[in-house]
Amino acid sequence: MTRLPGAVQLGTCFGFAVRSSLPFHYLREGAGDPLDVSVGDEADPEPAEPPVVEWAATPELPYDIRLFDEDGGYRLWISTSGWFRVDPGLSSVTVPADDDVVRREERIWGLPAMLCMLSRGDLPLHAAAVEVGGKAIVLGAPKTFGKTTLAAAFANAGFRLLSEDNTCIRLGETPAVIPGPAMLRVRHDVAAELEIEGATLLGAADDRVHLALDPARRGDCAPVPLAGIVLLRTSDEGTRTELVAPTDAIRDLWPLSFRIPNEAHRTRCFVALTDLVRTVPTRNLYRPLRLADLEATVELVAQSV
Amino acid sequence: MIDKESKVRRGDQVVARELTPGEGGVLLHLESAQYFGLNQIGLLIWNALEEEKTAGELVDHVRSQVEDPPAQLESDVLSFLAGAQDRGIVDLA
Repeated sequence: MTRLPGAVQLGTCFGFAVRSSLPFHYLREGAGDPLDVSVGDEADPEPAEPPVVEWAATPELPYDIRLFDEDGGYRLWISTSGWFRVDPGLSSVTVPADDDVVRREERIWGLPAMLCMLSRGDLPLHAAAVEVGGKAIVLGAPKTFGKTTLAAAFANAGFRLLSEDNTCIRLGETPAVIPGPAMLRVRHDVAAELEIEGATLLGAADDRVHLALDPARRGDCAPVPLAGIVLLRTSDEGTRTELVAPTDAIRDLWPLSFRIPNEAHRTRCFVALTDLVRTVPTRNLYRPLRLADLEATVELVAQSV
Repeated sequence: MIDKESKVRRGDQVVARELTPGEGGVLLHLESAQYFGLNQIGLLIWNALEEEKTAGELVDHVRSQVEDPPAQLESDVLSFLAGAQDRGIVDLA
């Protein structure tokens, strides 16, 4: 394959070895599948066909997104950034010329990376993941149920953070998590109370403080065997976990899974989720949403999986 | 309205997966992306619908497979099929 002129391998994320001349802040060590990242041509016209899916801005995701099929790959419009092109077959992502290089990288590790994961046969989940004793624990929650805060608490307790917002799951006899960007985006009110150790402040945009984990805490992107999935719930009556029946686990994981809205992708995602819950236990975690309880919550989750 | 003479078949927009033994199964309606859990009886009915059957044949099939079938088994099966039809999981032939 022809490589980008001037590009060098910078590091890995989600198992992709990034080659680029652009700056990156969240990469890990090690090897991976090649992924070239470069600035695309903003002058390319909008695709003639309607988008395959559109997402309107929400409080949790404050920008509009349109995804188009194009020439065996995808064009992606993100209102606050511009045009991305994702060519999984060519192992290539082009990005807009954006002065905010941190924001741009964070966008890359969102939808463009998830499209590449799908192409590779992996299952992208909207969830965080941490490593405990050499095993991965996925922390899933709809919307703002404190998964990033809990992930940050795990990091502060000395556990490796594998991903903060989107998690790449590799299915197979032993499902595993492929570590994602070494970043943490913590709410301002949480950051004010919870001192995040071993991380460098990159900025404070939108409602979040953006942190990059220190290199010594990142590790590589080698798959980490998945020991369990934890679904975050709130409770005012203490902290506890309970096993979830597989049928209920699929129901709760379905909205957290990323898929293109067509029959082939829905089928593939459904099959992947059922395979996942057959082999990996899912637990509900009931806990108060109080920072003072975080340490005990981390201990309980680490022990329960 | 489904009665014992109604001929029933699987919806063609449905993907089914059986979970571990004793856990039942799950269905996904591809067009609506709606997800449904099946208990063991529901899974028994779904598996029997590999070929088109009348609702009466399904009742007999479930009765033959279940220990101590309840007295209201027929109405339970017909009710299940009516709900499944409403959700596009099964169609009437």
